[in-house]
Amino acid sequence: MTASVVEQRRSRIMEVDDVIDFIKDGMTVGIGGFINSGHPMSLVRALIKSGRQDLTIVGAASAGLDVDLLIASGSVKKLITPYVGAEGLSSIGPAFRKAAQDGSIEIFELDEAHFYAGLRAAAQRLPFNPWRAGVGTSYPIVNPALREFNDPITGDPLIAVPAIDLDVALLHAAVSDQFGNVQHNGTRYGDPAMYAAADATFVSVEQVITVERVRANPAGTTIPGATGIVRAHFGAHPFSADGYYRPDEDHIRMYLAAATDWLKTGSRTAIDEYLETFVYGPTDHADYLERIGIRQLFSLDEF
Amino acid sequence: MTATLNASPASSSVDASEATPLETMAAVIAHDLKDGQWVEVGANLPVPRAGALLAHLTHGPNMTVMLAMTKAYLRNEPAIEEYEYITDVGAMRWAEAYYPHDQLLNNQKHRRNGVFYCGGIQIDAHGNSNLIGIGSDYEHLNFRGPGGIGTCNATAQSGRWHLVTTSHSPRVLVEKADYISALGYGDGSEGYRHKVGLRNDGPTFIITPLCVFDFDPNTRRARLASVHATSSVEEVVAQTGFAFEIPADVKITAGPTAKELHMLRTRIDQNGSLR
Repeated sequence: MTASVVEQRRSRIMEVDDVIDFIKDGMTVGIGGFINSGHPMSLVRALIKSGRQDLTIVGAASAGLDVDLLIASGSVKKLITPYVGAEGLSSIGPAFRKAAQDGSIEIFELDEAHFYAGLRAAAQRLPFNPWRAGVGTSYPIVNPALREFNDPITGDPLIAVPAIDLDVALLHAAVSDQFGNVQHNGTRYGDPAMYAAADATFVSVEQVITVERVRANPAGTTIPGATGIVRAHFGAHPFSADGYYRPDEDHIRMYLAAATDWLKTGSRTAIDEYLETFVYGPTDHADYLERIGIRQLFSLDEF
Repeated sequence: MTATLNASPASSSVDASEATPLETMAAVIAHDLKDGQWVEVGANLPVPRAGALLAHLTHGPNMTVMLAMTKAYLRNEPAIEEYEYITDVGAMRWAEAYYPHDQLLNNQKHRRNGVFYCGGIQIDAHGNSNLIGIGSDYEHLNFRGPGGIGTCNATAQSGRWHLVTTSHSPRVLVEKADYISALGYGDGSEGYRHKVGLRNDGPTFIITPLCVFDFDPNTRRARLASVHATSSVEEVVAQTGFAFEIPADVKITAGPTAKELHMLRTRIDQNGSLR
């Protein structure tokens, strides 16, 4: 007998727990989306619930309260992102502010152009990518990993941005087929750059569609080969998912109130209660959505 | 020819002298913009948004307006809704193209013809901006800022850029910023930006609710260019944390014309964010 031959194309649909099993303590994990939109929250909540520790979290180029929640839960050792906030809802993430001011997390300070240069270096399997902006600013001082060097061709002073290599990228998108061909609605933010920099990419999607529908619009495929796909209706809640629902401002404000209480008073009572109610308590994503309530979820229509 | 709604009514019901400080700031931004330039309309930044849209509607049919990470042409819109989030799909419905964020940052040549507006939790006398934080110990800041976002790069690449703040106070306008996330004229020494590898100029203006500063070409230090009609030299001095040169004959800032103010209030800022 010869070795067995795989006859069937493998489905990449996974359960949330399969994704979390892949993530180990101390890994570098990228979280896609942009400020108040497109974060893979069902995966983020499961990651927090798993109790994984010492994570290096690579937030989006403009990260939102997804990263703030991870910080509030105590699972972040090091943070790489140029911004944490919620625009008009909160100009700075309160847990981010608290942890930064306490010195309880390490912050890899960088500009969004450096951020993509680092992801690009990882994608290109290079130790660094050069960038022009940053010399003469505080970035290379507060973050010595951003190294000044002289370009060997022109002699210009440039910044060497080290590769931001992701063990795992967690993303949220509109749809995928069962083979991991993911299609976003909208501009897709910087999600493809995280995918390119990651060893493995897991994408929660609003809907799994047929491969025939993907083939009808192959130019729409933004992630051509996710490692795993997780079914997650309202998977970005309380943030928006382009083409599906708006941010749940009531819920975001509730989180902000709890996290701000921790920032202002040092008491963790309110934030721990939030975490218990919406992260640790729910048995799974469906249970989380039941706690939010169907009327609230259906009130988030875009138009 | 397609009829457009660009032309404002010949007679408008508003008087130019009613302009608020923020409307005056928007007018300063609009008057500075030229047709054909590339400009971002950020979310939750009502003043640069209004200024860019006012220029687009009044004299910028060939401007490239980036709105919610899309390329938008808005001169045919009777009223342009304001969006709280840069990710709002409502704003994406005007898209002629998407600017996927990673591509926007990978590609920088478009910024040569771009105009950028940079804020700061501190802005200093030499036009440097700080969004990192306040405090001498970076590991334990007294106030952690939001992070520099893309201001370090955008101010290093844009053909023209300004510092803009809606809070003119001695805490924001300081002699020397605790940290520099966007480089202005550095320590003010001659050729500083060139020495650190930059090819564009430093900021042209600091635009505030009280006044406009420009920069002395010899010292690269902010100096008073004009005071808004709603403020005074005395107020500017009292609210500014750095010493600055005051010209003998202080100009009054050119705010919006009656036509521009009407356009701001009816087509751009219906919610009254600037009032």
